[in-house]
Amino acid sequence: MTGFLLRRTVTAILVIGIVLTLAFFAVHLAPGDPTTRYLDARMSQAQQDQLRHALGLDRPLPEQYVRWLGSVVLRADLGFSFTHNRPVTRVLADHLAPTAVLAITALLIQFGVGILLGALAARRQGSLTDRVVRWLSLILYSTPHFWLGLMALLLLSYRAGWFPASGISSIEALDWGAWSSPRRLLDTAHHLVLPASVLGLAMAGGVTRFVRNSLLEVGHEDFIRSSRAAGVGEGRILWVLALKNALVPVIQIAGLSLPYLISGALVTEVVFSLPGMGRLAYSAILARDYPVILGATLLAATMVVCGNLLADLGHAAVDPRVRREIAHRG
Amino acid sequence: MSGRLALGCAVLVASFTACDRAPGGTYTTGNESARGGTVVIATGVDITGVNQLTGGGSRFEQDILDQLFLSLFQEQPDYAEHPPTFEPELAQDYTWSEDGKTLRLLLRPGIEWSDGVPITAADVVWTYTAQVNPEVAWEEAQSKDAIERVVAFDDHTVEFRFSEVYSSRLSDLNEGVILPKHAWSKLPFSEWRGNETWFLDNLVVSGPFMLARLQPQQQIVLERNENHFRQGYPKLDRLVFRVIPNRTNQVEHLLAGQVDFVEHVLPKRAADVERSGRTDLISKWHRQYTYIGWNGCQGLFEDASIRKAMTLAIDRESIVKALWGESARPAVSPILTSVWAFNPDLVPWPYDPDAARRLLAKAGWGDDDGDGYLDKDGRKFSFELATNGDNQIRADVAVLVQEQLRKIGVEARVSLLEFNSLWARHQSHGVDAIISAWGIDTSLNLTYAFHTDSIEDGKNYGCYSNAQVDELIALARRPARPEDAAPPLHRIQEILHEEQPYTFLWEPMRHYGVSKKVKNAQPNPLSAYFNLDEWWLAPVSS
Repeated sequence: MTGFLLRRTVTAILVIGIVLTLAFFAVHLAPGDPTTRYLDARMSQAQQDQLRHALGLDRPLPEQYVRWLGSVVLRADLGFSFTHNRPVTRVLADHLAPTAVLAITALLIQFGVGILLGALAARRQGSLTDRVVRWLSLILYSTPHFWLGLMALLLLSYRAGWFPASGISSIEALDWGAWSSPRRLLDTAHHLVLPASVLGLAMAGGVTRFVRNSLLEVGHEDFIRSSRAAGVGEGRILWVLALKNALVPVIQIAGLSLPYLISGALVTEVVFSLPGMGRLAYSAILARDYPVILGATLLAATMVVCGNLLADLGHAAVDPRVRREIAHRG
Repeated sequence: MSGRLALGCAVLVASFTACDRAPGGTYTTGNESARGGTVVIATGVDITGVNQLTGGGSRFEQDILDQLFLSLFQEQPDYAEHPPTFEPELAQDYTWSEDGKTLRLLLRPGIEWSDGVPITAADVVWTYTAQVNPEVAWEEAQSKDAIERVVAFDDHTVEFRFSEVYSSRLSDLNEGVILPKHAWSKLPFSEWRGNETWFLDNLVVSGPFMLARLQPQQQIVLERNENHFRQGYPKLDRLVFRVIPNRTNQVEHLLAGQVDFVEHVLPKRAADVERSGRTDLISKWHRQYTYIGWNGCQGLFEDASIRKAMTLAIDRESIVKALWGESARPAVSPILTSVWAFNPDLVPWPYDPDAARRLLAKAGWGDDDGDGYLDKDGRKFSFELATNGDNQIRADVAVLVQEQLRKIGVEARVSLLEFNSLWARHQSHGVDAIISAWGIDTSLNLTYAFHTDSIEDGKNYGCYSNAQVDELIALARRPARPEDAAPPLHRIQEILHEEQPYTFLWEPMRHYGVSKKVKNAQPNPLSAYFNLDEWWLAPVSS
């Protein structure tokens, strides 16, 4: 197991290094640069060159790469943001919490709802419930995040007034003490209901169909038939015996859904005006804020790689065959 | 199961109060200006920090910094009839030397920073040194190019020496807010970039408001600066700028009572704001014009008659009406209709495709191969018409122009590009024609896009060059009194009208939405928050 973890860690570092190198050259070679956004009619070319010099953008690209990589590897310093004029680590830290809370909540909704509906449809295969669930999951799966978000805003916020339309806290919350106070936590939860539900439900469609199909496959296995013959109740067969086996590939899906979750969070944050990583990355790309783009890429790449590793470990935890294979390889 | 789920949802919803409301209730309609209260403002963008010299340079950021820091003067929105006037702010009085090159300025006595330290001439001198420092690389540093030196004579007297006499000296001198030397000079200029957190930690202000909280991409909270020199101002206790990137969402927030002010109401939503009963709509002509820039660096649009033919073939009146309704008007000049120096004798070119065809035929363009498109020397009249794809109105205009030019046998190939890609190509003179816009200041210096020198060192990406225009631009800049620049500016407009380096499309109107409970809000094209310290809230009736 130790050897396996060591191998995976080395591979992960290599993958992240390659991703960052490609990202560095891709963003620097893209048209425009951070001074393009200064479209003041009076700004001269000389002034623009002075700004490029101040930002270190007039150095040869290989030199910029070596300097940047050196500061990242040797000092864990991601540089400073050209637009926020602060260290990238500070900028990322400011925006990470809302995205993390949104993503985790959405993930719980995605798999909670997905597993529940998938199991329900499998248990009543061919019934009206099954058909409704299948159609519903197809609609959720194929509906764009942004449209679902806009509809939720229109109906549940602007029209019904049940939920706030934007932000992560109320204006009055400034006067309610620390963010960890119950009132502020409740306020944040209230703000997160719509975006997390939209993001989670939009991704739950795929999980629903996957769980349903997995359960139907497992339903034909010998041990299920034996359990039924032994008089085990249908509820126990579904929720304990079948689901445990059907969830093995679902764990893999959980790890692999991280990239979709990140891209989905971007869209959701823009629609609901949430101050998260998605909006930060989006505005950084438009402003050609290279250090922030690379910082966000590093974070996303690390999350995806770690997600895959966790999925593999989870897979090993529930499937003895995988554990044996890992032990065999050392 | 599903029943329990629905019940859970209902309990969850019921356990919360209704969503955010801007603090308020039922307001009286009394005319007495009250003090106190909070106004919530929707903004589409965030600020990058509090140091103007290293900041993001957006108009909104400038507006916020104007609430935190004083300038020497405040430019007034009275530029329709005459050059704009400047009301003293930090300055109390000033005199020009006889040769017009030296300005002696007297600072208002007894003004302090928020930490109680007096504001002196030393702050003004040090601010200038920061503004022109190459390591700081302030984006507006060129406004100080003609200032040779700044000297403090005593705590309240400072002298600016210019290298030449020109019309916008006061405007240039006034560019930028005055910064706190005692607080910020501790950090060397070489370390200013990348250290915004330091400036936030060491923030002292002189303006009507103080920064209470800055939550990136969420909200900016300003509170009254009790140390502000204007007695009884600002009227409001607190301002909350809520970041809501989507403009449609901003209007919905306004109509739902969740915000009190929106600085950019889209034309299609203006009527909703006007009709709502709880909000007012304020409309002003904006300081911007949209244009098609023709690339004269290459063969196709080098000839002025060809550019004029393009203008004649585009039905600008119909385009503006279709896309903007009453919220824009056709533009004819780089000097806006609403500005004192606009030449009223200019007659807009009509929509006249026949005249356009005749001009093109005279230049040797004809449909020799019968394919419906003009050609000359074996070359088809075909060019790329590019704009940034994230701007739907410009994208729509590109398609309409394409269709109208097709009728005279000209092929415009529409390219919708990402903003940075578009400008990178445009800056290297690589776009045949571009649909874009300029926001203009009131100095009316047309060098940026119409002077030959700006081809290499400016924004003259279409390579427009006319020796007479170059001379007139210099002549318009020369008079000591700005109003004396009117004759050369009028003549420049006549030449540009004749030669059409740009086809001027429209001047937009800016709609502001404001809650009826907010009183005395006077947004104008200089700033949506021009008199923010004078806004007040109608008292709440019990």
